[in-house]
Amino acid sequence: MIAAQRGESEAFSELVRRHQRRAYVVARSIVVNHEDAEDAVQEAFLHAYKAIARFLPDQAFGAWLHRIVANAALDVTRRRKVRDADELPETVASPFRDPAESSELRTRLKEALDTLPARQRSVIVLHDVEGFKHSEIGKLLEIPEGTARSDLHYARSHLRRVLGELRSGL
Amino acid sequence: MSDMSDDARGPALVRDDALTNELRAIVAPPADPSYWDGLERRIMARIARGQEGARWWALPERVYQIGLMAAGLILILAGSVYLRARAVETRMAYESVIETPGDDQPVFARRGPLDERRATLRAATGH
Repeated sequence: MIAAQRGESEAFSELVRRHQRRAYVVARSIVVNHEDAEDAVQEAFLHAYKAIARFLPDQAFGAWLHRIVANAALDVTRRRKVRDADELPETVASPFRDPAESSELRTRLKEALDTLPARQRSVIVLHDVEGFKHSEIGKLLEIPEGTARSDLHYARSHLRRVLGELRSGL
Repeated sequence: MSDMSDDARGPALVRDDALTNELRAIVAPPADPSYWDGLERRIMARIARGQEGARWWALPERVYQIGLMAAGLILILAGSVYLRARAVETRMAYESVIETPGDDQPVFARRGPLDERRATLRAATGH
């Protein structure tokens, strides 16, 4: 960490290696697709590199980074909304194949996930997929812990109902 | 992964493993290690580009600072030259006024303004 704060790029590269996967999941909980998540992760690490001199060693680097990732992902989401409002929808070719495309059920469930209010989607992904605690989610998304709990409840109820309908229909 | 004790604190938070498994599949990060190697390279390349950009700006900033200092110095010098020139000009103008006139030059007596009473008297008498 000290080496990274001194500006040694190899030390920062090590931090990227260690934290990029979890950073991706945090971003993916906020944005709706893989490309935007990757974009947010890159922006976040760039920002973290510029701000690392201000990072206090008694903080947890992961928590500090995740806050930056969440902000970057929210920025990407805002930009995406503006872009989508200005442009006609088009298919973007991606080298990464989304696992959700492997089955119709997952595709439909993903659609349902994407239609959830953004905060509920973030909460359910962070909690159920990545195992973040409500207190951590609260800090990350700057919401009270109780709000995170109720968001999780509504998101689960909605998706469980969708999943049930899909299963009975397939 | 999910913290059950965290769930247990909420009465209505019923966990659904089938749903969790589907969600994991939907938002799962890429499993291929080469993807992460590539992402790391792209991140570090962006950082390197950012540093190059910073260096590109740093040089003109130094030049700008030196230029600003030089401009300040020139301004101070020009100001002092102007003030000195003005002082010389004022002194010369003053000296030309108080200089004793020669015999061939007419002498003018300076008179103060007339007060109202004397002005009326002069107008009445014609002197």
